Amino acid sequence: MWREMRKTFIAALAMAGSALFLVPGGAQAVPSFARQTGMACQACHTVFPELTPFGRRFKLNAYTIDNLPQVTGITTSKEQSLLLNQLPPLSFMLQASYTSTKKAIPDSAVPGEVAQNGQVQLPQQASLFYAGRIAPNFGAFVQMTYDGSSGTFGWDNTDIRYASMANDKFLWGISFNNNPTVQDVWNTTNAWQSPFDQRSATAPTPGAATLLGGGASDMAGLSVYGFWNDSIYAELGFYRSAPAVGAPLDSTSTNVLKGYAPYWRVAYERQWTRNSWQVGAHGMDAKMFPGGGAALSGPTNRFNDWAIDSQYQYIGDEHIFSVLGAYIEEKQTWDAGGAANSTNDLKTLRIGASYFYHRRYGAALGHFSTTGSEDAVLYAPLGNAVTDFANNKPNSDGWVTELDWVPYENTKFALQYTMYNKFNGGDTNYDGQGRNAKDNNTLYLLAWLNF
Amino acid sequence: MKTIIAVAVGALLASGTGAALAQGQQEAKALATGVCSVCHGPEGRSVSPVFPRLAGQQASYIILQLDAFRTHIRGDPNAQAYMWGMSSQLSDATIAALAAYYASQKPSTEKAGDPALMAEGEKIYTQGIRAQNVAACSSCHGANAEGAGAFPRLAGQHVDYLIAQLQGFQSGTRANAPIMVGVVRTMNLEQIKAAATYAASR
Repeated sequence: MWREMRKTFIAALAMAGSALFLVPGGAQAVPSFARQTGMACQACHTVFPELTPFGRRFKLNAYTIDNLPQVTGITTSKEQSLLLNQLPPLSFMLQASYTSTKKAIPDSAVPGEVAQNGQVQLPQQASLFYAGRIAPNFGAFVQMTYDGSSGTFGWDNTDIRYASMANDKFLWGISFNNNPTVQDVWNTTNAWQSPFDQRSATAPTPGAATLLGGGASDMAGLSVYGFWNDSIYAELGFYRSAPAVGAPLDSTSTNVLKGYAPYWRVAYERQWTRNSWQVGAHGMDAKMFPGGGAALSGPTNRFNDWAIDSQYQYIGDEHIFSVLGAYIEEKQTWDAGGAANSTNDLKTLRIGASYFYHRRYGAALGHFSTTGSEDAVLYAPLGNAVTDFANNKPNSDGWVTELDWVPYENTKFALQYTMYNKFNGGDTNYDGQGRNAKDNNTLYLLAWLNF
Repeated sequence: MKTIIAVAVGALLASGTGAALAQGQQEAKALATGVCSVCHGPEGRSVSPVFPRLAGQQASYIILQLDAFRTHIRGDPNAQAYMWGMSSQLSDATIAALAAYYASQKPSTEKAGDPALMAEGEKIYTQGIRAQNVAACSSCHGANAEGAGAFPRLAGQHVDYLIAQLQGFQSGTRANAPIMVGVVRTMNLEQIKAAATYAASR
């Protein structure tokens, strides 16, 4: 799903940046991990997909904790040559949804008419996961997704890891992944940001996004990380363009990374009794050839992002409480063209809190905002209702509220309402065709099953 | 009852002796530092009261519990959520070696609680509650709550963990300790908190 959506997004990034939200998230909650470890979902998740301190360590340990009978092999010199689960760590995920916007979306073909409001998607998204240990110290989280909006089956989140304890206090590892922050273990970063991880696939979403806020796509990255004394985390990685569809990277591609784009991450986590608190920063510096007809040479456009993020969790037997936030600032330099200004800023803030009672009944509240430079080319109205920026500004902000019912640890039913104060640069008539930000307010019902 | 537990522990210990035990010791240390420590902390000194501190715990008690997780005799919520899986593939030798490893670590300490609670706790711990048929904790767990054999060390344990266990005995979710199920039957929450606070601070 993401792959397809991101394809659309990356085109938008060249023109404007893309959706504030990365659209319906993948799931980090995978029952094959539970089957492999023999541990309930609650060991790794407060309520999926948010991770507990143990869940973070399970991921940093390369998903390798394994309590299943094994198929084994040794060499004549008694070296282990195989240690394989007797059962493959496969999981399925199904999401079905209902979406209703405050005002129906204009008909895409007949002027003056509107689309049917109250859209049902079955499935909105269906995924198959391989998630578990591959070999000692090696593990994978690989998601393949059928996207109900585009009707295609595609490659989704991928994180393949190696991890090892250097000594009692120092864990290090390598992650090979296909999108910056997919490998991250805190739910403040874009790929798994709680409580913003689930969104309607059919409702309008704001059109400007930073690279670290969902704009990155068609990349592959290799990063090395270290975690010392259960508290200090550092990671350095490099990304390179790697489109899923395998034509050579040339002028027919768009937004191709020049060389390798560095990604860095530092974080500090402290645990005391049932509390944990994290504060961190991450960043990425990407130079891209615009492509799309132009050869991959000459000047590039540069997207230099840095972000700060923090989360607090209280995980009690009865009550669970989390507060999470991230602020991303992006400096864009348009040497290769595509914008009216030579440099632009784009900033996003997301802060949210959630509460669960007995891991069964929950509520969440989140605030999001995007602000940035005015740019007559980047945010030029193109004559498209709903998605246009009539005021040449990327600004959007609003609130999201959610009620959750989690009857079993692997099933979630959510009722979500998103309110926009500002959408694509304005509150009233933001698209130049009479649509107000509030018209995009979205009621979203989600059934999310993992098995 | 004590005899039955002693025999059970003896049998488990015997099955883990000799060469297997020696071989298991390396494996157990790696397991303890690489896997168990994620929840139970380095050397068994955990941070969260969801996970008991194992440093200095009685080896026989650890063996009994790991076996109870493995065979699903101990089924309180966190036992099911975490330990049924973690213990499922452990051999008797590894269990014995893990127990020896944790028993040999220096125990943690827990601060004294509210003075009134401590005073009530001391009374319950050393004398029991005669009117409610509650035996003195010290008669099995020792004067300093250091435990003995199948009877666990309570000193230095998380107070919240001890409270959760006593409540588990009471509600029946943790039913693998018949003695404790009987002892705690008539205790109220205040008495449970007092006894746990005092015992942990020894």
